[in-house]
Amino acid sequence: MATIAPDIFFASISELNAKLRAKEFSCHELTQAFCDRIERIGPRYNALALSLRKQALSKAKDVDRELKRDRTRGPLQGIPYGVKDLLAVKKLPTTWGAKPYAAQVFDYDAHVVERLNAVGAILIAKLSMVELAGGGDYRTAAASLTGPGLNPWDRTRWSGGSSSGPGAAVAAGLVTFAIGSETSGSILTPAAFCGVTGLRPTYGLVSRSGAMALSWTLDKLGPMCRSAEDCALVLHEIAGVDTQDSGSAGRSFNYRPQDTMRRLAEITIGYMPVDFQDGAEPAAQPALKAAFDVIKSLGVTVKEIQIPEFPYGALVSTIIAGEAGSIFEDLIRSGKVDELADPHQIAGLKAMLDLPATEYLRAMRVRSLVKAAFHDLFLNCDMVLAPARLGPAPKAAEPLDAPGPPTRSRGGLIPGGNLAGLPAISLPCGFAEGLPVAISLLGRPFYENQLIAIGNLFQKQTDWHRRRPPVEA
Amino acid sequence: MDISRRQLAGIILASTAVAQAPPKPQPESDIETARLQQRAAAQIIARVPLPMTTEPAFQFKA
Repeated sequence: MATIAPDIFFASISELNAKLRAKEFSCHELTQAFCDRIERIGPRYNALALSLRKQALSKAKDVDRELKRDRTRGPLQGIPYGVKDLLAVKKLPTTWGAKPYAAQVFDYDAHVVERLNAVGAILIAKLSMVELAGGGDYRTAAASLTGPGLNPWDRTRWSGGSSSGPGAAVAAGLVTFAIGSETSGSILTPAAFCGVTGLRPTYGLVSRSGAMALSWTLDKLGPMCRSAEDCALVLHEIAGVDTQDSGSAGRSFNYRPQDTMRRLAEITIGYMPVDFQDGAEPAAQPALKAAFDVIKSLGVTVKEIQIPEFPYGALVSTIIAGEAGSIFEDLIRSGKVDELADPHQIAGLKAMLDLPATEYLRAMRVRSLVKAAFHDLFLNCDMVLAPARLGPAPKAAEPLDAPGPPTRSRGGLIPGGNLAGLPAISLPCGFAEGLPVAISLLGRPFYENQLIAIGNLFQKQTDWHRRRPPVEA
Repeated sequence: MDISRRQLAGIILASTAVAQAPPKPQPESDIETARLQQRAAAQIIARVPLPMTTEPAFQFKA
């Protein structure tokens, strides 16, 4: 039996796939090693919701048979991955991170799981999440059936949410990639806090079929990986038309690394100066300033811009209140909502039933103005650069809304970008007090290739995405 | 299946046992606080100038 070296757990998708095809080890051996690792280490970060060892090993044997016959399916063939536990996997518990749904079982796979199965990727685990993706306004990291998501860089810190498990599992080398979800920040935040690369696609590019809905008009599924290129390889497989998803954009994504970029000088990246001067938390400022200099050194044109001014937070919270209140109406009226872990989340969900329709509709009308304003912004630049988060991960034991170091940046790109349905990528760019810091790039609709291209260039110039947390063997 | 029927039944029975232990009732004050936060958000949104012709950012198609 081949020995799986420790570096393998942190290898890229392409590197692993090449080793499988070169038969350095079998898919079964690789899968067994990852299953052993996630079962042993995942609980340290409360990252593991459910190990899928038995079915993963069975699938791995199928892949080995295919590879023996030189039947290749692409770069994801044989690659171990995990999914946030809001994605249905047939006949197995899909808990949505919430006690009321701890025994919930569906008789179908989510669409993205079907797509990844079809290309030979090996699903080894359901990964933990904030209960119900946090839509009721949770205030503690412990707002989860599996306990607080802990950060592999420092277990006294939060891994971020609501895709807590995916962020921690990718960072700690427990899976090669993961599928997370974002309504407003739930891919970008754990990616930033855990030092991994997260891609939030354009709304409708990836099917939501088989995923828990929190907000029909805000939810997106996307990859969380160790690099921009890996995000591209995963998105290439999971994106596309799905008639089962009424929000499907009817478009696919083809990763085109060669022909994506115009001459770099023709690419204009907008930014707000305060974000890269003294707008972020003091500890994060050096890493963010250095990242800005790297982006400038790529040869792109950088330009000062102003983010459109809207009450983004109020808009997102009102829209989620209207939609989540309807989605979870039965849970709330039955009283089972009281079984959730976070009291603020419980209260928030109950209050949603009192939201007047006019308030929801007004928020959705203002949202049309937000979309138009971002459209106009992108007439003057190709993408917007900003800190993914204004500081490193907060302490897991403290309330998440506890006041932190003062910041001058207005923020707003996460809620604003989500309201407008825009794609974004989070790229690790350094450390603050030993914890990862990240930048984000926001693009116009279906601009994923361009975001990934700049991400690739940034990651060729830096090695932050290759850093590994202190995970003991 | 990755887990046995016995294991799945165990999960279901455990959840039922947990559910039968009555959860603590939510203080009405917490819910009222959440309602007030919702109201405050609506008031902030109401200050955004909104032309009467602006439609919501979703479409119905027959």
